[in-house]
Amino acid sequence: VSVLGIGHGNKLLTDLYNCHLTKVYTVGGLFGKATDDFSDTGKLVEKTTFDHITREKLERILAVIQGTNHKALLLHSNIDMKTQEAYELAVKGLIRPMGKSPPIITAIRCLQFTLPEFQLEIHCLHETQQYLRKIVHEIGLELKSSAACTQVRRIRDGVFTLDDALPRTQWNLQSIQNAIGDCQLRVKTEIEKTIGHQDLLHKMDAEMANAADS
Amino acid sequence: EEAAPVFQYAGKAARRKDRVFVWGFCYSGALGVPSFVKPDVGWKKPRRIQATPYRLETEEQISSAACGYGFTLLSSSTTDITKVWGMGLNKDSQLGFQRSRRDRAKGYEYVLEPSPIPLPLEKPQQTRVLQVSCGRAHSLILTDSEGVFTMGNNSYGQCGRKVVEDETYSESHLIHQLKEFDSRVVQVVCGQDHSLFRTKKGAVYACGWGADGQTGLGHYNITSVPTKLHGDIAGVNIIQVSSYGDCCLAVSDEGDVFGWGNSEYLQLASVTETTQVNVPRHLPFKIGKIKEAACGGTGNVVLTEEGNVFVWGYGILGKGPNVIETAVPEMIPPSLFGWSDFNPDIRVAHIRCGLSHFAALTNRGELFVWGKNLRGCLGTGRMEDQYFPWRVTVPGEVVDVACGVDHMVSMVKSF
Repeated sequence: VSVLGIGHGNKLLTDLYNCHLTKVYTVGGLFGKATDDFSDTGKLVEKTTFDHITREKLERILAVIQGTNHKALLLHSNIDMKTQEAYELAVKGLIRPMGKSPPIITAIRCLQFTLPEFQLEIHCLHETQQYLRKIVHEIGLELKSSAACTQVRRIRDGVFTLDDALPRTQWNLQSIQNAIGDCQLRVKTEIEKTIGHQDLLHKMDAEMANAADS
Repeated sequence: EEAAPVFQYAGKAARRKDRVFVWGFCYSGALGVPSFVKPDVGWKKPRRIQATPYRLETEEQISSAACGYGFTLLSSSTTDITKVWGMGLNKDSQLGFQRSRRDRAKGYEYVLEPSPIPLPLEKPQQTRVLQVSCGRAHSLILTDSEGVFTMGNNSYGQCGRKVVEDETYSESHLIHQLKEFDSRVVQVVCGQDHSLFRTKKGAVYACGWGADGQTGLGHYNITSVPTKLHGDIAGVNIIQVSSYGDCCLAVSDEGDVFGWGNSEYLQLASVTETTQVNVPRHLPFKIGKIKEAACGGTGNVVLTEEGNVFVWGYGILGKGPNVIETAVPEMIPPSLFGWSDFNPDIRVAHIRCGLSHFAALTNRGELFVWGKNLRGCLGTGRMEDQYFPWRVTVPGEVVDVACGVDHMVSMVKSF
């Protein structure tokens, strides 16, 4: 899924970027190899055994990754942990870093597992492709083996899912117009929800600053 | 590329190792790492507080741990001669007599690393230690066939023996053995200055200080011999008892919870307005069948069969900075423990209480803490108090955790 903006849509693109919505990827990996750029086309660094790896061990590692990333999510969101606001947002699960932050994974789970291959679904924020390949490599290290990434495919970008994507056979004016029409409403509500929420936070910050001054 | 050598880091039969992690206040020696207290030639610098989990090397696999007020006990279920190790404060011989190496006639006041505690067992190579528990200045050790051993301060009879006037407790060799109960003791719990014993038949015995009614025997005097409790728990099969300060909770096999002791912080305010309750009273909460209960200094927490956590009392209860005190249990939303649509089968499996903080273990092996961060006892790496459950990053699956006043010990299985 790759989002393109046409004409006035470019402005919407920056707004969508500021919403900091999560992207979903399916990442394929291969146990037994470690390469220098973490993908299976790079230069081989090491080969290891992997027959001790089970799906249960993999899921345990994934649970820990999720836990530490959840902590990073709360820490980078720049909200004071001691306030009631922070508590309510944490309960609803709405705390998200609204500015620049290192890549954070909000959810990760294993879709397929047939030794030596496995496939993960990763929901993340502010990521790069190299970061996703590095995650595969680190999972291999944690399981006392090694892993290289074979496939990275974005299946969701904010509000746009695979179903909205146009395959190459449909790259003509009519289908593009239909697609824009379908997505317009969703994009608008998402921007209002998040930027509106951000305005509320800014208002609260301004009030607190005033209270501190007086 | 095909000819590259293949390395093996772990074979098919590689087993998960058991580890112990400690964190909190270091200067009492309760963490068991001497380099945190006294400088030595290694790389570790002395520090007042260890804010994140630190691995403690132990000789045997530790099955039970307990944190007291400035000291720690670790026990293993081995049949070797040495079954219990202690570290930290020893001014009341709560860790037994630790012979000083410089002067063979004197004992150590502070024990800086896990040191064996010699128990006067009749069959030292057959008896196993099941559980340990620590209070303010006394400790209880539960064995499977030789009853309960008590040591430490006995000025209120909390060790289960007669109070001797002007007894000096420091550098004492005395370890008392308790055997007379209606059936085998299966759980021992230390409150601040009292002791509770739960037997196989479901009865609860108590001894020690009673000025807040924490012995539950119907009076406010001290008791120096373990005596059976009646009140609302007479005839009830109790499956778990808990205490750490001056309030006590007991859970029956039918999911009811009973409380007695101090109620100055609204712990028992749901049944009475008095601030001390000296007879066990049933707490009529309509929150479902209760599986486990834990008592802190000013707040209590229970875990229901469905895996929900309810808190009440006074202090930082875990529901944000606005909920400071409540007499009726309030649920902590499961989303704070990692539950979400993406992970719908995360449940809290165990709950523990320190003096002013709480800990919860999920079924995925994650540890969540909240409460007052006294001298870094939460282990979050930050010095601020935590008003809602926060994950502690431990490299492994947390199996059990023991909470003290200003430090914590956790037993972890490596990945």
